[in-house]
Amino acid sequence: MTTVLEGAPAGLVAVDVQAAAVQFLVDEELYPLPAIYGAAYVFIDRCYVFLDRPEPARVRVVLTAKSGAAEPEALRALIGEFANELLSCAFRHQIAQDNRVLIETATMQALAGAMGQPSLDDLAKFDFSDQGFDDPLGIAMSWEEKHGRKAPKSESEGGP
Amino acid sequence: MTDRHELRFSRRLYHGEAVDQAVKAFARFASFDLEQTDDDWVVRFTPNDPALARRLRGELGNHALGLTVQRGGAK
Repeated sequence: MTTVLEGAPAGLVAVDVQAAAVQFLVDEELYPLPAIYGAAYVFIDRCYVFLDRPEPARVRVVLTAKSGAAEPEALRALIGEFANELLSCAFRHQIAQDNRVLIETATMQALAGAMGQPSLDDLAKFDFSDQGFDDPLGIAMSWEEKHGRKAPKSESEGGP
Repeated sequence: MTDRHELRFSRRLYHGEAVDQAVKAFARFASFDLEQTDDDWVVRFTPNDPALARRLRGELGNHALGLTVQRGGAK
């Protein structure tokens, strides 16, 4: 028989002391499925983890003590730690999503570097006509080119 | 009296091959019967030792979940 855990959000957490199990209803809009998988995976060495989908966009996580007996306080601690791990996994998933392009670019550059020096054939085929970038503000110019003393004009160029 | 148990793994959450592989891993501890419905992979089993039913149920679920996660999810 399941009972509501005191202090836990109503309708989200339920405890079955007789079965030494606690269940947690997770909203997939708040916690994406990869995060739920990640948190569940962390806990499979400590307890039996079972996932279920009682309704769309909701995942029910059932954690059962391996020993077969658990006090309500132990079950409360278990679900609390799971919730923390779930939050951590969701945040890491979000960071990975946000930085996916950066990670892929860095990985690609590392792999390209590991491929070694280009061959003579590669260099022969290289298109040198391709301009790297425009520099209308002269940012790429050296200090001497930009601010150095100008060479005196030759007399042939004319003067007063 | 037979000690028959049933586990329903959601097809949206568990990879089918992971469930199959988990059942194979525990095949010597129980006799299994598999079925698939539109929503679930249904595993029915009768443990060789009824005292191990609870543990078998839990370990089977963990094994299927672990393999599903290693495969990157249900798809």
